[in-house]
Amino acid sequence: MELLAASTGSYPRIGNRPEQQRHRQAYAQLERGEISNEEFERVQNGVTREVIEEQVRAGLDVVTDGQVGWYDPISHFARKLEGCEIDGLLRFFDTNSYFRQPIVTGEIRRREPILEGEFIFAKGVSPKPVKPVVTGPYTLAKLSINRRGVGLAELVHEFARVIAQEVSELAKAGAELIQIDEPAILKNRNEFGLLKNALEEVAAGKGKAKLALYTYFGDATPLYDKLVKLPVDVVGFDFTYSPGLPKLIARLGCEKGLGLGLIDGRNTKLEGEREVIEVLKLIAPTIGSERVYLNPSCGLGEYLPREVAFKKLQNMVAIAKKAGELI
Amino acid sequence: MREKLKKLGLKLPLLPTTTVGSFPKPPHLLEARRKSAAGQLDAGELHRLEEQTTREWVALQEEVGLDVLVDGEMYRGDMATYFAKNLEGFKISGLVRSYGNRYYRKPIIVGEVRWRGPITVEWWKFTQGLAKKPVKGVVTGPYTMMDWSFNEYYPSRREACLALAKALHEEVKALAKAGVKIIQIDEPAISARPEELPEFAIGAMRTVTRGVDAYFISHICYGAFEFIYPGMLELPVENFDLEMSNSELDLIELFREHLFSKDLSFGVVDVHSHIVEDAATVRQRIQRALEVLKPEQLWIDPDCGLKTRTREETVNKLKAMVGAVREVRGSLKS
Ligand SMILES: [Zn+2]
Repeated sequence: MELLAASTGSYPRIGNRPEQQRHRQAYAQLERGEISNEEFERVQNGVTREVIEEQVRAGLDVVTDGQVGWYDPISHFARKLEGCEIDGLLRFFDTNSYFRQPIVTGEIRRREPILEGEFIFAKGVSPKPVKPVVTGPYTLAKLSINRRGVGLAELVHEFARVIAQEVSELAKAGAELIQIDEPAILKNRNEFGLLKNALEEVAAGKGKAKLALYTYFGDATPLYDKLVKLPVDVVGFDFTYSPGLPKLIARLGCEKGLGLGLIDGRNTKLEGEREVIEVLKLIAPTIGSERVYLNPSCGLGEYLPREVAFKKLQNMVAIAKKAGELI
Repeated sequence: MREKLKKLGLKLPLLPTTTVGSFPKPPHLLEARRKSAAGQLDAGELHRLEEQTTREWVALQEEVGLDVLVDGEMYRGDMATYFAKNLEGFKISGLVRSYGNRYYRKPIIVGEVRWRGPITVEWWKFTQGLAKKPVKGVVTGPYTMMDWSFNEYYPSRREACLALAKALHEEVKALAKAGVKIIQIDEPAISARPEELPEFAIGAMRTVTRGVDAYFISHICYGAFEFIYPGMLELPVENFDLEMSNSELDLIELFREHLFSKDLSFGVVDVHSHIVEDAATVRQRIQRALEVLKPEQLWIDPDCGLKTRTREETVNKLKAMVGAVREVRGSLKS
């Protein structure tokens, strides 16, 4: 079994050092109309390059573009879709970050590719494989206001059609592993059927790429046996909410790749090597797949200061190396 | 809970009016805070400006005719960071993104949390010294302090929360000893993880309030109340201060299903909107509350702190509120 150190999604855009404030300053200048969209995009690309470089320097095997250009994981997609309007701010799950809530007023259709350009840019500047991260159709539908007079199932289906197109383009553009985030399912277990249908639709377009389904901000234990049967190659879990999960995996095993969110993406405390390795030792014998990822429990961009995010990743890489020798 | 107020020697009219805690800081004070943070202004001068602005807000609250006053929190920045800076066991983090281009610094628990000595008592004394009406004490609650801090020291959220509760109990005791009769414990985060309410959030509030002779209010906002009601009624406080106008009043429906058994400070003006509600709108909101509550249970205030509004919006919103309350009081008597 090979253990790789991976990013889970977003990465902090700004840090304490003056030169790490560029994104914030440019954003403010853009809002005041002092710079053009093109100038802002140049800064944004520079920062994307920088956060990729930082992930590589931390020693990650798989990086992301840090989602530097995303306002939030929901409206980043919805604002480019026909049939969606963007409404006010709402708390993102139980975190202290906010997202702009979409209102679905018409049939959801894609106007243009959403992630393709970002991925191609990131891939071009990264010496390590870049994993694009896509918010899943169920979560997009669940966090939207539905003014359509159709059921949630129809909304999920229409978002799934969009995300399937995204996945297919990302695969064609060279993505080897594509992550689909579905945090909303953990608190709505009775709607699992909707998630299943949606993922079947999305998986149909993946081509040669592998799909990873990640959930976080909730206990995944009650859904574990169902999640590992979905048509994806990797399932990712947030262990900070799921204290019973290591034992459950040890008991039930796992034939799929695993994304082990054993690194708390929402706390500045650095994980101890021993506690993480203990869990890895417990579950390693029951994992059927050849490849397992050690990663933060969620993206770091909204939850940690930049300095701490870097240290977290460095610490995680050290643990992964140590564990690789032991297991 | 009128009994408790009477026992404490507080004479309040029906539908007492109050505010949640914060008022807007004038531009010159914001500038002074910036300079002070950059080391370009000495602490004494900043304090003098804070006192001066507090005086103005007290005068304004009395002029508008509010029944229970606040100090306006001219000396506080973020509600969690302010207490973290004044308790032992905390550091403050680097910048964390909230949304868009907004960033904030977050407290980090790095050691045992302890109360070093009174935090808000001097400000309460100063404010009460200026006012004829009673002034509330306002303290950020243990659950919110825990949820809004990184935790590098305690093994769990529960233990961090209970340690904070013990420290904040000391602050609450010190306030009561100084003569504060109405103490508000702010818990905007309390619905973050509904399962933790019975597990330890209620117990933490019990630790904060235990043995303290005061009328306790708990302010809760941006809540997903449907997940914590009616369980939240177990919190050992006399009064809940809830955001109502911004939630389009759907709480009233919850109260229809399960009787609201405590006093309620009912938020009738939206603090996120520039638009000043007219008295008729406020009156209608109060009347809807009276469909499910007895007049003796009801207090009236804005949804949340007013610090993001302008001074003019603040004053006009409060005037609309007090005007509407007076009309409703008149109709209740007749
Ligand atoms: Zn509030």
